[in-house]
Formats: sequence, C-alpha cells, structure tokens
Amino acid sequence: MSFIRIALKNLLRRRLRTVLTLCGVGVGIAAFVALVGFSRSFEDQWAKLYESSGTDIAVVQKTFLNTFVDESVGEKLRSLPFVAAADPVIVNLMDLTPEVNALVYGWPANSFEMDTLTLLQGRRFHDDQPEVMLGEVLAENLGKKPGEEMDIQGAPFQVVGVFRGGSALEAGAAVLPLRELQKLSDLGGKVTAFHVHLRNGAEGESDQQRMQKARAEIEAAFPGLKALPASVRARNNQLVVLARSMAWGTSVIALFIGALGIANTMAMSVFERTKEIGVLRALGWRRSRVMKLILIEAAILGLVGGCFGVVGGWLTLRILAGLPFTASFVTGSIPPLICGEGLGISVVVGLLAGFLPAQRGARLSPVEALRYE
Amino acid sequence: MSDCLLEGKNVTKHYDEGRIQALRGVDLAVNASEFVAITGPSGSGKSTLLQLLGGLDQPTSGEILFRGHSLANSFDLDSYRSRRVGFVFQAFHLLPTLRALENVQIPMFETKLGLREREAKAAELLREVGLEHRLQQYPNQLSAGERQRTAIARSLANDPEILLADEPTGNLDSENSAKIMALLTGIQAKRNMVLVIVTHESAIAQLAQRTIHIRDGRISS
Repeated sequence: MSFIRIALKNLLRRRLRTVLTLCGVGVGIAAFVALVGFSRSFEDQWAKLYESSGTDIAVVQKTFLNTFVDESVGEKLRSLPFVAAADPVIVNLMDLTPEVNALVYGWPANSFEMDTLTLLQGRRFHDDQPEVMLGEVLAENLGKKPGEEMDIQGAPFQVVGVFRGGSALEAGAAVLPLRELQKLSDLGGKVTAFHVHLRNGAEGESDQQRMQKARAEIEAAFPGLKALPASVRARNNQLVVLARSMAWGTSVIALFIGALGIANTMAMSVFERTKEIGVLRALGWRRSRVMKLILIEAAILGLVGGCFGVVGGWLTLRILAGLPFTASFVTGSIPPLICGEGLGISVVVGLLAGFLPAQRGARLSPVEALRYE
Repeated sequence: MSDCLLEGKNVTKHYDEGRIQALRGVDLAVNASEFVAITGPSGSGKSTLLQLLGGLDQPTSGEILFRGHSLANSFDLDSYRSRRVGFVFQAFHLLPTLRALENVQIPMFETKLGLREREAKAAELLREVGLEHRLQQYPNQLSAGERQRTAIARSLANDPEILLADEPTGNLDSENSAKIMALLTGIQAKRNMVLVIVTHESAIAQLAQRTIHIRDGRISS
C-alpha cells in the first residue's frame, strides 16, 4: 500500500463532499483557464496581427487613458529617413448588431497593412466612401457578402469585400476607410496610433539596433508620444491590458472561492478524523508524516479539481468561439502553457488551503486525540 | 547489569491544572521478557500509566526510563513509539478505510521498508495471528476477535521490544478473550518481549508473571 493510496481512500470516504469540493476547485480553474486562456489567446492574436501586418513600430500616446494621436504627426513621421511607411490607424470595438461585437479598424485605402490581407470576395474599399470590408468569420456571422448593405452605428455602409488576415482577430474584424471611422467615432483629425514600417538598416546594423535607434529618434522628435516595438504594442495595448486584468481579477476571486472549499473540506476531515490521527501518532507516525498525508489529500483535491477545470475551461472557450457575440475575439484553442499553469495553480491552491488543517492535525497530542469523542 | 527494560521513577500525572491527579508518585520496574498485568478499578490511573510507559504522554513530574535513558530527555518519542513499542487498544482503533493487510502496514511507514516488503511483512504478521484468509477484509467485515487480531498484528509491525495492551479483551466475549490472551502470551513467549497489560479482569491478570495493582493513582501492591 502506498502513501498516496491512504490519502485517496480518505478522500473517498465522504464522496459527496469530495465531489462538491472538486466542483468548487473545478469552477475556479475553469474560470482561470477560460479567462486567462482567452486573454493570452487574445494577446497572441494581436501579436500575430502585428507580425503579419509588417508593422515594426507603433507610435502612440504616452498616457494610458488619452490614447489618441493627432493625425498631423504622420507627415513628420514619414519625413524621417529611416521610415519606409507610417500609416494612421484607428482601432475600436463596436456592436455591429445587438448580438455581434467586433473590432473595427480604420485604415487609409493605401495602407501598407492592406497588402497583408487576402481578398476572398469583392474588392478593397475606396477612401472617403461608406464602404466596409469584413473578415471572413464576421461576414459569416453577419450573413453579409459583397454588394449588400449593413448599418454601422446607425450609418449605412456597403460591404465591398471579404478578406482573410494573418490573425483570428482580423477574421472577426471589419475594416473601414479611416475618415469614415473618424466620423463614426467623432474623432476628426485623431487616430489611435501610427503604424511604422522601417527601411532596411545600414550594413552591419542588427534589427535590434535599427529598432532602438528608430524608437529613440521618434521619441525625441515627438516628446508626447512613445514608439513601441510592434511586439510590445501587441501585448500591452489597452484592450489586451484590460482583458488581462479582468481575466486575472476574476480568476483570482474564483480560485479563492475554490481554495475556501478545499480548506473547509480538509478542516472538516481533520476534525472528523481526530481519533484516527491520534492512532497514527500513537503508532509512531511523526507530525511531519501526518501533515504530509493531509497536504497530499489537499493537493489531490486541487489536482483533480484542476483537471476538471482545464476541461471545463476548454469547453467554455469552445462554446464562446461558436457564439456570434464572442466569436470575433475567442479562438476556441487554449495555449498548452495555460493548461499546465492551471494544473500547477490548482495544486498550489490545494496545498495552501490544506496547510492550516494539516498543521492542526499534526499538532494533535496522541493521548488527547485518542480520548476525543 | 540490571535486566530492567522499562522503569518509572516517582511518576506523577496531573490533568486539568492539577485538579485531577491521575498518578501520584508511582515507582515501577519492568524487566526484559516480563509479562506484567496492571490492575485496578476504573479511574485508578492504570491506563494513564500505560500511556506514559508507551511515550504517548509525558509525566507531570518524575520520569520514565527505557534501558536507563529518560524518555523526556534522551528520546525521540515518535521513534520510540514506532520502533520500541507496540500498542493494542480496547477499541482496536483500526482505520476503517483500509483493509486488514493495509492497516498492519501503517506503522511501517516510519521505517525504510519498501512497498513490497511492507506488504509481505504485513501478510506474514496476519498469518502469525491466524488471519491469513482475511487479508483483504475491511474492519467492518471482520468480527471483533478478528479486529483485535489485526490490531495485534499491527502492533508487531516494527518488531517492538515492548507490547502495551490497554484492556485488549474489553470488547470481546469470553471465548474470544481467551483466544486473544492465548495469542498475546504466545507472542510474548515466542518473541521474548515485554508484555504489559492493563486489565480489571482477575482471570487475565493471573496469566501474568507479576501483577501491579493501582488504586487512586498509587501502586497498592
């Protein structure tokens, strides 16, 4: 008989309580996997989006809340010798129908980023026309194809093309002419950022050196702005930061509730087994071994609950990926690291929650525990 | 050289901040291979004495010595209970979630025996107490006599030098009591170990080589 077997048998003694505890942990870990998985996946899609767009540097406001940049910055940016292209972009989140939310980009028709999209149907839009191009997933969710009309924030737009991008975010996004989106968002003369494509560096200059030099010169030229490498911008734009914060905040609350469940179960279990613990101590078990037994039981609760949670989180993401309201942001796949993190966190939560009950059990005096009724 | 294995010197034990005086200056010596019965009325302090001899508790004053070394100072009590002493309780105290074979292995977790060695030894001990056909039964599937036999097998798990039994037949009928006493005395003789039994049954006390009678926390004879 192994030590783990004793722990398992103890947990199976009160099956209903164990199952309910596992459900509590499972919900906490499912929330973690689904929310943090979603936020990571969201982050990854942003990274892919920037990678596929050819953007090297994003020029944005230094402040977090005031995120708009004056459009006039573009001309001066383009005059910098190392800049091959600097295109304005607006990124917004809009409810296109009561059921469908989507990322909406505003680009000039000649943006270098437009070249990275593959047109599946129709054509590109023309500047200053109420025209829209839809990502393939969004087009399907909206049931729209080129030639049809749709309302965006109460204004009529003609769907002119359906495209495939380099990221799932683009598949669920809409792209409008910059001016049209400025009108819709009441952002005359303002954009969210400038996406900069750099010229090739001088011979012998590494990409990193080229990037650092360009950033330093842009920031020197525009004191109120910051020049972020595309990869940093992808992981730290406002939407990603908000998604990440919400995901962790909600997960921590859910995990805390799961931990309380384990702590309650283990405390009750130690209380009920006071006499048995006394027997173990009388038979020579050291305090550390009693503690180890109780901690292993708590860790098993965490781990098994974590396994349920990972499966639950994955199913949740799959369901969200199929719903029109969320399909634009959720890919339905979980980064494998999240599953590992979820299981690791579940075990740690179990151990932390089991610590006090384990300590209480280990401190029991054999004689007092044997007398306990 | 003294043959004394276990010794109590002026042992007192108070509970409830001195309001209850379970033992009042007890002196006793138990020699190697000796079978001693401790008798006395309920509440006389006999079980308390057994607990102190077994290292389950510490005296309020005085000392318990094993091979001349005080349990208070020189001993790791967990190790003492695990290696030197085997306990048999009136209420058996088997773990209900474990089979007989598993219950017997419990004390062996404090040794370096591997999983297979533990199982083999537990099976051998259960054979020794006549339960070779009941290895896979849970305590609730065993009769009272079989439970006590399992508890006796468990008490022998780490080949202790001292076997301490607190009313080992208290929950058994007379037929099973006789069988358990025959088993305990047989084991004591075969293993040449100390057997200290707490009992208030004179028939059982008569089996012992020596009887210590306790009354009001003092040895009266």
